[in-house]
Amino acid sequence: MQQVMELANSNVMWLVASIVISIVIFQSIKFIQLASKTGIEQGMSKKEINSALKTGAIAAIGPSVAIVIVAISLIAFLGNPLTLLRIGVIGSAPIESVGASFAAEASGATLGGAGYDQMAFTAIVWTLCIGGMGWLLFTALFTKSLGNTEKKLTSKGEKSKKTMGIISTAAIIAAFGNLVSAEIIQGLAPFAVAVAAGATMVIATKLSEKPKLSWLREWSLGLSILISLCFGYFFI
Amino acid sequence: MNVEQVREFNTEKSIKETLNKNASMEAFHTKAHFWGRLTIWTVIALTLFLPIYLSFGLGYHPGWTVILNALAAYAGVVAVVWVLEPIMYFPILGVSGTYISFLTGNISNMCLPSAAAAQNAIGAEPGTEKGELTATLGIGAASLVNKLILIPIIIGGSVVIANIPQQLEGIFPLVLPAIFGAVLIQFAMKKPTYGVIALIIGLGVNLISMPIYLRSLICIVLVVLICIQLEKMKEKKQTL
Repeated sequence: MQQVMELANSNVMWLVASIVISIVIFQSIKFIQLASKTGIEQGMSKKEINSALKTGAIAAIGPSVAIVIVAISLIAFLGNPLTLLRIGVIGSAPIESVGASFAAEASGATLGGAGYDQMAFTAIVWTLCIGGMGWLLFTALFTKSLGNTEKKLTSKGEKSKKTMGIISTAAIIAAFGNLVSAEIIQGLAPFAVAVAAGATMVIATKLSEKPKLSWLREWSLGLSILISLCFGYFFI
Repeated sequence: MNVEQVREFNTEKSIKETLNKNASMEAFHTKAHFWGRLTIWTVIALTLFLPIYLSFGLGYHPGWTVILNALAAYAGVVAVVWVLEPIMYFPILGVSGTYISFLTGNISNMCLPSAAAAQNAIGAEPGTEKGELTATLGIGAASLVNKLILIPIIIGGSVVIANIPQQLEGIFPLVLPAIFGAVLIQFAMKKPTYGVIALIIGLGVNLISMPIYLRSLICIVLVVLICIQLEKMKEKKQTL
């Protein structure tokens, strides 16, 4: 186990993990620059652009803390750099731990237990790296064709543009309808929290319609998460 | 200038403006494809290099049978999602949003809520140019915040976690219902019928047993079809 952790926290692992994370950060900055510039050309105001950035940033705080908490559980047997590499690039802690345990099993070991040697660790690296690559390959290869398909659909005039708008809105509502359903059927606490979060969102949105309180709009998601979690504390 | 000339001048100007706007969006997409692909291919190359180096540079090769067995089992769980997710979320994320979201990860629990919150804050409609740019700005900022929180904690390590009081630990599983509930309501306030339909179908697919990826897909396809049908019926009523 100790030898495994030495390998898992070796310089090579750290080097690759840091370069990859730097690329992710670089990409975000590059896209923010591109979108800000194009936004101005499309008639968006500086204020709107800043507000979009700020809202996105605030909304990410709650989820990020939750993600990190789950990710920490991986460090014990994957080491810090591989965890950073797998959680910082497409991936989520629960699914990564499934992959890791499959790989350990295939090499006749248990995660962090009997038979967990450098080879078992290497098998995990193979599985998680190639496993996460699926999304990247598809995105790199096919986003352009998806974009062209969308363009074809919307170029047929106002009506198809309107339909595209309906599809986008309905799709995102459907996505969250499904996600929230999966959570609330799990028990009273998640149900109560989801309802409280929704109620906070209604109140925050209504209040933000007052000119003096328009700043609330940027905070509404963050506030909803925080207040509903405080409420949920009494249910656990 | 008489009235007619002014009007002509104005339409000409507005046509020019639309053309300019289209061209700038076109340029944006070209650049998004270039940088998106470049960054993603580099990450693919690096994440391939790592296992190859461990196997053959350091000599810890576990054997191809082991690797293929593990990969086959893992792919059985995630392979469908590799294809479905980018397609399913494309109408929401757009070209640039797709490149960022699928590199940074945590799509449903972070990228989509951030994009939605940003669009809501400045009143940009999803599916429009402004909507796509706003989503990109929101997700870009979210991704940066995510790394800002992730990096120090992973490096600083488990010390922080060991010090979290036990009572608080029970709260973390509740973060997801909190995010999802708030985002659903945020949209449902604008489109109440859509919200009700989505919730009914969402509950339906979750109460019937089926693979997780199918749930999401079936729910999205059904809700989109029903909503399009509803809008069509509304239009008919108006024209009558």
